[in-house]
Amino acid sequence: MDDRGSPPTSIRRRLLVFLSGALLLMILGASSVTYLVALRAANDAYDRSLLDPALDIADNIRVDATGARVDLPQKALEVLVYDHLDTVIFQVRSDRNQIIDGDAQLPAPPAMAPGEHRFFDRIHRGERLRLAAYRADNGYVVQVGETLNKRDRLVREILLAELVPMFLIAAVTIGLAWWGVARGLRPLAQMRNELLGRSPRDLRPIPETASPIEISPVVGAFNSLLQQLHESSTMQQRFLANAAHQLRTPLAGLQMHLELMLRQELSADVRSEVARMHGATIRASRLATQLLALAKAESVPDHGKPLQIVDLVAVAGNAARDWSALAIERKIDLGFALAPARTWGDPLLLPELLDNLIDNALRYTAAGGTVTVGTGIRDGMSYLCVEDTGPGIAAEEREKVFERFYRVPGTEGDSSGLGLAIVKEIVDRHGGAVSVGTRDGGGGTRICASFPSA
Amino acid sequence: MRMLVVEDDRLLADGLVTVLSRAGHAVDHAATGKYADSLLARTAYDLLVLDVGLPDIDGFEVLRRLRLRRSPMCVLVLTARDAVDDRVHGLDLGADDYLTKPFSVTEFEARIRALLRRNLPLEMTLSIAGLSIDQSAKRVRVHDKPVDLTPREWALLELFVTRPGRVLSKEQIAESLFNVDGELSPNAIEVHVSRLRAKIEPAGVRIRTVRGFGYLWEGTDG
Repeated sequence: MDDRGSPPTSIRRRLLVFLSGALLLMILGASSVTYLVALRAANDAYDRSLLDPALDIADNIRVDATGARVDLPQKALEVLVYDHLDTVIFQVRSDRNQIIDGDAQLPAPPAMAPGEHRFFDRIHRGERLRLAAYRADNGYVVQVGETLNKRDRLVREILLAELVPMFLIAAVTIGLAWWGVARGLRPLAQMRNELLGRSPRDLRPIPETASPIEISPVVGAFNSLLQQLHESSTMQQRFLANAAHQLRTPLAGLQMHLELMLRQELSADVRSEVARMHGATIRASRLATQLLALAKAESVPDHGKPLQIVDLVAVAGNAARDWSALAIERKIDLGFALAPARTWGDPLLLPELLDNLIDNALRYTAAGGTVTVGTGIRDGMSYLCVEDTGPGIAAEEREKVFERFYRVPGTEGDSSGLGLAIVKEIVDRHGGAVSVGTRDGGGGTRICASFPSA
Repeated sequence: MRMLVVEDDRLLADGLVTVLSRAGHAVDHAATGKYADSLLARTAYDLLVLDVGLPDIDGFEVLRRLRLRRSPMCVLVLTARDAVDDRVHGLDLGADDYLTKPFSVTEFEARIRALLRRNLPLEMTLSIAGLSIDQSAKRVRVHDKPVDLTPREWALLELFVTRPGRVLSKEQIAESLFNVDGELSPNAIEVHVSRLRAKIEPAGVRIRTVRGFGYLWEGTDG
């Protein structure tokens, strides 16, 4: 990845920033046009009423021997130039550009032909003014000007009438985009939830049909990654199977030759040496089996739901065939109390689990003791229990015995400390539970694995 | 008896050959699947000990070719993979029995004996400790004294001696004895077993009870 350091981008945020910018520019453009149009409309509306008093005043200019004057009573003049919103001023200039009446400070208007009128803007005494100027046929010029309050108000109202809906539309658009993006990205969220809900061993491809075409390339790439992972896990399993073969065959040869040696005439010390080597060989074989079982339990792909219905009674029956001879040899009464019990499970791992429980029980039970394998259904759960008359496991040790290579302090025997770790691993793989306790009536050990019934 | 051991591991192969030779059999050895296949094509062995993992063609393929030639040869498959489907696979292809490596010499010998016995001609007489069984005449002698067995006891005995070292569940026994006349309840089986015990255990053989499950024949034969 080459985006180290840059903050994570959000599709939604990027889309919204772009959309808001574009909308803002459009609104700005539209409001400039609207402003100009509104201004023109305001001037059109009010300029006429500005020109009218100018024309009235021009009509009432009297020129005689004493000079020129506006022949209107002061009152009438006030009415003419009155406005309830704006300050109105006027000025009358003679044909020789002498100021006859009105505001003396107002500068001369642009040159006009007789009978012509003009409208123009000007700053006067720090105020923006709109002026109407009229040049009468006699050369006298009348200017009437007013401040822009009512024009501004009209422009404002027009702009407002235009802009408020525009902003509303923009807001709705942005909201829709926000919602739409969230909705559009929902398949991604679903994909995320699906992946988060998976177990680390579940390498099934994500269904591509459910995802929209924009996401399906991502799903496709992800699935090919899953496929590669799956292949490497398959390769690992194949490697384990081969390793089993490679380890066990020489161990089988070694064991066989040691047993053949033990059948010969040997001096007592040689015999005891060979017997020790024989024991070590058997332990090495068992350890290899257990390590492989553990690795296998970890590497079997987990599809959330285990593979098939396993009859625990049949599993116990196979164990009876595998373990009875050894139990008799050790003078341990290996018995069975089998009631129907089935679960969804792995048909290879569940026997492995029971083997480890029985192996452990036989290991820690003295000659003359009893080991009983039980199956059945209790509280809706199918169980597989092994109890023995061995020394038992102290309450404070009961959690630790499931740790790998853990051995209860002070116990003898040649246990690898892996048996119960394998049991735990397999139980976990099946969504089951395992408990350690004592036999009914106390004493000994009872270990029960329970699974959802099938 | 003529036997072939197919095993690529030198040490194990030597051990297997030694065990079988000491038991008085004529034993050949093949270290590869192809060589084994060529030997099997031209020699009629009585028994084949076949490893699954071979360097060229695997044991299952050797077995498949053997059965394609319609050979009834007894086959004991050795497997180092602890996958049950390997076993099933082997038995589907026509293996008579399997052993998972590693195994004890005693176990190996017991399986070989059981396989040979299964294929014995009916007129053969079996001797196990003080017990002698004349299969054709259906007669049993304990320390040379004739003992009378009921048909069901005889069927039970036959079942046990062809599967030494194997645990038989009561259900299996009931199924096997069903053919004789009618079905047997678990209690009836217990009765028959205890009567058979009383008759033959003086010969030094034992039928062990596997509590809550079935029985195990502990014949100190051979």
